[in-house]
Amino acid sequence: MDFSIGTNLDRIIILLYFLVVMGFGAYFGKYSKSTSDYFFGGRRFSWWLITISIVATGIGSHSFLKYSTKAYEYGFSSTMTYMNDWFFMPLFLFGWLPIIYYSKVATIPEYFQRRFNSNARFIATFMILLYMIGYIAIQLLTLATVLYKIYSIPLMTTVVIIAIITTLYTHFGGQTSVIFTDLFQGLILLFSGLLLFYLGINYLGNFSDLNGLSFFWQNLTISQKLPLANFNSPPDFNFVGIFWQDGIAGSIGFLFMNQGLIMRFMAAKNVNEGRKAAAFNILIILPISAIVVSNAGWVGRVIANTNPNILPSEMASNDVFVVITNLVSSPGVFGLIIAALCAALMSTADTLVNASSAVIVNDIYRPMTKNKNSDKIELNVARLSSILVKIIAVLLVPFFNNFDSIYEAHGWFHSIFTPPLVVGIFLGIFWKRFTSSAIIATFLVGGFLMILGQLYPDLIKPFSHGIELRPGKGYSYIGALYNIFVCSMVGIIVSFFTKPPDLNKIKGLTIFDVKDLRKIFKGSEVNDAVGDKILVKWKKSNKSNDSISFSKNDMQKMKAKKSDLVYLSDSRKWLGGLKSIHSSFDKSHDEDGIVYLSNSLIEKGLFSKDKILIAEKEM
Amino acid sequence: MTISLKLMNDFFISTWLPFLYLYGVGGILFFFGLILIVKTKALQIKDFKDFNWFLTLIIGFIYYLLIHFSFIILAF
Repeated sequence: MDFSIGTNLDRIIILLYFLVVMGFGAYFGKYSKSTSDYFFGGRRFSWWLITISIVATGIGSHSFLKYSTKAYEYGFSSTMTYMNDWFFMPLFLFGWLPIIYYSKVATIPEYFQRRFNSNARFIATFMILLYMIGYIAIQLLTLATVLYKIYSIPLMTTVVIIAIITTLYTHFGGQTSVIFTDLFQGLILLFSGLLLFYLGINYLGNFSDLNGLSFFWQNLTISQKLPLANFNSPPDFNFVGIFWQDGIAGSIGFLFMNQGLIMRFMAAKNVNEGRKAAAFNILIILPISAIVVSNAGWVGRVIANTNPNILPSEMASNDVFVVITNLVSSPGVFGLIIAALCAALMSTADTLVNASSAVIVNDIYRPMTKNKNSDKIELNVARLSSILVKIIAVLLVPFFNNFDSIYEAHGWFHSIFTPPLVVGIFLGIFWKRFTSSAIIATFLVGGFLMILGQLYPDLIKPFSHGIELRPGKGYSYIGALYNIFVCSMVGIIVSFFTKPPDLNKIKGLTIFDVKDLRKIFKGSEVNDAVGDKILVKWKKSNKSNDSISFSKNDMQKMKAKKSDLVYLSDSRKWLGGLKSIHSSFDKSHDEDGIVYLSNSLIEKGLFSKDKILIAEKEM
Repeated sequence: MTISLKLMNDFFISTWLPFLYLYGVGGILFFFGLILIVKTKALQIKDFKDFNWFLTLIIGFIYYLLIHFSFIILAF
């Protein structure tokens, strides 16, 4: 693309946006006092806060460019990948989510250690770190390719500047900063994307007496209006390939393997809030997100169908997002929408940086030091890790810049890293017979067979569903089906020829134990008697233990007994659980409406003096 | 006759075949998951909260099926 875009006003707005986000992140940084806060935000947040921050994580800067391009080329079928995530929800909501939450695993590699062995953890750590850091590099590259056109700063300098800005607030703030900046950025992102669609439809209204929406709909061809792509052609965009690559491998990868997303769910105040966040996200937010990331392409397609001369003659398909945004918006608004692109990058990158530093601390540093260091030292290691991760990501940018397009880089990335991990996690959770030797074989032999498939596409042909082989490039998306098949087969066959795992050792780590997980988590029988939530004021107790003392009457209202678990939060719901704690009930007293808290709980809960708290028995 | 059969085949391949494949293969995976969580009692259908989740899961499946179905019809 050789045409200049944007005005000085746009440039100022984008700069201001970066400053606001940094300020936001720095402010919430004060809430990270321990590694638990830094990585999981203290397991305290409400579902709505988790939902919006998941949106911001799920929509990366590459999403706008990638889906606009596909929308421009193929129409509404660009939405396919946003509308095929529901199939795995039963297993996610009632399998994986309670397992990771109640078994208190901090990272996915730690799950591999507990479910299998330290070798499995080691390989998983390596693969997940490479996956996340590479993903950050792709995000940096995507945004830099847009920004360097606006600011005329060389690509790599732009990459470095963006990396520094996004590192700053993650470095100091951790997960709490990430969640709150992502709340802000998620809203900006959705608003700007929908604003762009509104402006685009308005713009189209200028071409005819019809209203913009009618003109838009009537000037798409039938194939451009269909929500699913043609079954098996063309090779670079067909339904069945994308179904296996994105709907199956991608969905499992996103829900079960994405350390950033897993940490977001673990920041929820309980499993049910995590379930609500996931369900609301997929049912309501993802269809909206599909419109947000695709609409520039649809508007571009209608313009190309009706008034092609309006578009620059040298415009490539993947320029459509920036060109249409520039065309339909006024100076300033263009800057705001590009700021949304920045939001998409920063919110995805910050989550992945935080997740990578969690993996470095939990799966490399702690095993190396045998957990001998203090939380303060680990927090410093986490902060340094976030810088290291960004440096490696910046160094990887030139590698990804060598691909023909960002989409190709992204597709290559997914096809290499997702299948072995996805198969490992999936069989680990849902098949007790899956053994430690089998997971290693899945990684190594499965990986080898995947490489063979890349070298000899004839191996993939039986899975191709009639998709044409691209000379010199092999099969595209449908390779995922082959990869999942060979990894699964290796895992299953090796499991049958090796000694079954000790069932006591894997207790609480498969779906078959989910019904008992709450009891394991609590350490005693679960109290499911339905009680009321009560409002209380807090007083400082002289005790040093971290259990909470309520009055006898208040405990009766909550149907709570000593040692049951309790959640206490500031009664202002809009705080989303920022000021809250989990604890257990101590012996009762006689002052109704009063709760006694230790000094450390007051600090941990960030409770303000004289503010009313709401208490509920958890289990 | 041959031409009209080819046209019908092309029409089917670009419209209803992807739809049937999506909710056929996806449906098998979805209901396998649903049955597994009920059988293992990870979701306890007699519990009021869990029963609501059970309904939400099925409604979610139908919701997406209807969205895709409607858009295919609307395209013509």
